[in-house]
Amino acid sequence: MNNTSKNTKILSFLRSSSVPILFIIICAVCIPLSGLSANMLFNEITTRMGRNAFLILSLLIPIMAGMGLNFGMTLGAMAGEIALILVSDWQIVGIPGMVLAMILSVPFSILLGLFCGKILNMAKGREMITSYIISYFINGVYLLVVLYMMGSVIPIKHSTIKLPRGYGIRNTVSLLNMRQKLDNLIPLKLNIPGVGIVKIPVMTFIIIAILCLVIVWFRRTKLGQDMRAVGQDMEVARDAGINVERTRIISIVISTVLAGFGMIIYLQNMGNIATYSSHSQIGMFCIAALLVGGASVDKASIGNVFLGVILFHTMFIVAPKAGAAITGDSMIGEYFRVFVSYAVITIALVMYETQKRKAKSQEGAMLAAAQDEGEEEKDS
Amino acid sequence: MKNKRKIIFRIIALALIIAVAACMFVIGRGHTVYFDNKELTGPDGTVYEPWYQIEVLVNGERVARLAEGDRGMVSTMGQDFKFEVKLTKQKGGKMQGGTIGVKLPYSIDGIIYNLPAMLAGAEESVYMEEFIPDPIEEETEDVVVTDEFAMPSEE
Repeated sequence: MNNTSKNTKILSFLRSSSVPILFIIICAVCIPLSGLSANMLFNEITTRMGRNAFLILSLLIPIMAGMGLNFGMTLGAMAGEIALILVSDWQIVGIPGMVLAMILSVPFSILLGLFCGKILNMAKGREMITSYIISYFINGVYLLVVLYMMGSVIPIKHSTIKLPRGYGIRNTVSLLNMRQKLDNLIPLKLNIPGVGIVKIPVMTFIIIAILCLVIVWFRRTKLGQDMRAVGQDMEVARDAGINVERTRIISIVISTVLAGFGMIIYLQNMGNIATYSSHSQIGMFCIAALLVGGASVDKASIGNVFLGVILFHTMFIVAPKAGAAITGDSMIGEYFRVFVSYAVITIALVMYETQKRKAKSQEGAMLAAAQDEGEEEKDS
Repeated sequence: MKNKRKIIFRIIALALIIAVAACMFVIGRGHTVYFDNKELTGPDGTVYEPWYQIEVLVNGERVARLAEGDRGMVSTMGQDFKFEVKLTKQKGGKMQGGTIGVKLPYSIDGIIYNLPAMLAGAEESVYMEEFIPDPIEEETEDVVVTDEFAMPSEE
């Protein structure tokens, strides 16, 4: 009996942690094949952790509110990009430029978040696909603003930002005056034995740590508790007097605002904005990283974020080199990492749906058994 | 009463955010400062001769070493700009030094300072001018791809 329960526990652990375990195996195979030095690997992972963690953390609150993986975080990313383009044109540089871009992104993010939240309230139970499609729709609006309105309606002064035709923004906007200013604000280089010198973006990590603490604190607030209640059961929460719709909208607004901040941190690290493509894949990669960390559609923790960033980005770094070593073509590795990103999301969604159906059928079976027992008692 | 307090707090928070944004506008304004070591003739006909060599240091770091006719540049933030110069009048001559502080005009992105005129004590309108980049004659239009799945045009 004891052995059976132990086996069941191990099986359920393996089932729930199958994605991280799979990724640990992939990384363990690919790292030696890639031939990358420990120093390079550590530096790359540290940089990518600083670059991506804030964005991924922005996904936690909608999951808490039972809205699944917020593909609508792309909306916040677009708001952040628009703010950065304006700040670049106004020639506000360095940390003040970043702060101004963050402040400027807030109203855009709030408006987009409200819009997204209202629509998601109309599509309860189908939030993920709806938010995915909303991100495509808003991408169209973003293109209208960036490609036609900037320079013609919204004044853009600098020819380095504007397209030669006089309106619209160039494919790439340089953020050279802002590049890694936050990362290098508190310079620290650690000498790790056996690895070498690893550059730590201290200030970025401090900001990420603050956000983690805010999320932990937020869970304990009245609003956080309401969100958890809504996430567990909307009807019960409504009966308890919680304004379900409002709570859900707030969770999306918070997520969108945080995604806007995250995008600004991400782009200051990169040092340029790919105007028409930076945001398009960000949602997918962040969600994939979170799922790789062991999160699911209805449950995610801060630990999942960091494990996900480490595993997903290790795979991202080593895959092209490992692909080249195995097949002689680095493009195979490139395809592999994109393929894996989509595959992880698919597997996670399939697993979530399977578990939901399983739980439902178990519930049904238990109900049927209880009914049978009741009838038997009646007959006797 | 509670609502009134809430509104007041919100207004204060909004005002605070706007104030921070305004501060960022002022302290974060970036400029590119160009240093010329070139001959300059003032409006009154005074000719300011270039020095044999001028070294420009900002925050203790050398940003330009200018021979006669050279131009150097540095990117800076804010309107108060201080730099150090090390001057050599003639080849093999004695090096002189000094620190100069200038107030950069907010509205100008690129500012050119003619150092010989500045060091000779000319007026600001003489030694300072706006840097206007040369227009690029034939610039190829950026091809903006917004639809990865679009059919290729027949052009």
